[in-house]
Amino acid sequence: MEHNDYKKMIQFYLYEELDLENKILLEEHLKSCNECKLELESYKKLFAEIKIDSNSPLNPKLLMEARFELRGLLRAERNKVSTSTKIFEKITSLITKPVGLAVSGVLILLAGLFIGYLVFKSPATENEKPYNPFNDQIKISNINFIDPDPTNGKVEFTFNVIKPGYYKGNINDPEVQKILTYAILNEQNPGTRLNSINVINASKSNLLDDEIKSTLITVAKYDDNPGVRREALKSLKEIPLDTEIKNALIYVLLNDTSAGIRIEAINNLVEAAKKGFGFSNNDLSILKEKIQADKNNYVRFQASNIIKEY
Amino acid sequence: MALSDNELIINAQNGDVLAFEELMYRYDKMVLRIALKYTGNSDDSKDIYQDVFIKVFKGLSNFQFKSEFSTWLFRIATNTCITFKRKYNMTKHFSLNDDEDSNFLSSIPDDESLPDKLVANSEQGEKIDAALNNLSPNQKMSFLLKHYEGYKIREIAEMMNCKEGTIKKYLFEAVRKLKLQLENTY
Repeated sequence: MEHNDYKKMIQFYLYEELDLENKILLEEHLKSCNECKLELESYKKLFAEIKIDSNSPLNPKLLMEARFELRGLLRAERNKVSTSTKIFEKITSLITKPVGLAVSGVLILLAGLFIGYLVFKSPATENEKPYNPFNDQIKISNINFIDPDPTNGKVEFTFNVIKPGYYKGNINDPEVQKILTYAILNEQNPGTRLNSINVINASKSNLLDDEIKSTLITVAKYDDNPGVRREALKSLKEIPLDTEIKNALIYVLLNDTSAGIRIEAINNLVEAAKKGFGFSNNDLSILKEKIQADKNNYVRFQASNIIKEY
Repeated sequence: MALSDNELIINAQNGDVLAFEELMYRYDKMVLRIALKYTGNSDDSKDIYQDVFIKVFKGLSNFQFKSEFSTWLFRIATNTCITFKRKYNMTKHFSLNDDEDSNFLSSIPDDESLPDKLVANSEQGEKIDAALNNLSPNQKMSFLLKHYEGYKIREIAEMMNCKEGTIKKYLFEAVRKLKLQLENTY
């Protein structure tokens, strides 16, 4: 076997995907070939760098948004399936009954007349106005030109039309929850985000929903407004503490620059400790560090209280 | 005790929505990570993620347990990623021939065209992302399945519906290009 053949095998040797015979041959070759030894070391370094990159955590906000949007799409898919199944079942039940035969005949006739009307009706008159997106209630954004060249007298572009919406419903309605969780995550106005959290809080049963819990955790960790972060933490207090919430509280404790928010987080943890929530050794060592390092006296004091509980 | 994938699939095939969600949440992080690494863009990765699971939702009733669920899922994810690129004509950096040694170094994107990043991505991570941008779709996908998801070459071949030898070729080329671009950075 040539030197270059061995060189090509090094990558697969590190994958542990060489057959035994080639593995032995390569190991023998490596004993005597400095160039291949260096090549092996170079591959090891590269793979180590890639390994570090592959272990970097996925952005939780991105995951949550992706899941949130997917759940909406799946709901729509399920509705589509169930509606078409219902229609199919209705039709089959109709045509299998003797009386239904006559009824379905009439229905087919009516459908034919309706289609005929649509096909042969007179074209739109001049008085019928085309769709006009430009009125007071509609906003236009994101204009993209398809054909910006005006020389032939025409231009072509796409744009987004934003229409005002209105909804009135029970706070437990899935539609209301969907809009509110969207608002908590995406609304630019912090007051609206705050109000949305308050509305969600009004129904305790809402707080048991996993999606809402994840939304509150994301907001508590990443929202850029301290008031909104604090409100999310207060809401999380109403949910029975689990590892996910505990990790979020510790994250806030370690990373939030606002002392008020850290105080809210440590208070939640103190209450959990009093109720007998189990903290891991890792959690306790983080809290011990906090006792020494946090700039705020109260946070340090409360951290020491948790340690005393154990 | 947690149900196995196959038990969840059977329940989901019988209309159990929660079983489908549990199955989805077992793998969705992997799919999103691959999509994000593949496209280098948060919005595109979400589109791919959604496409994949809608296809899984529609196709699950026909799943016949001839392969592992994860293999089937990643086959869908692989196809979705590769066709997504093709659909939006984002393959301008690549030669049509995977084996061709194109002048890829000249096509390293400038800072402005670098994609969205993970929250805490390191500088080295960004360099790896930039280097990944210069691989062909098949090279990149083989590389991601091997190095980021840890699959065996045999499994990747099954997912990408090609021979093991072809996957080895993709991996060899992918690592060669990455090594060339990154060797002065580590």
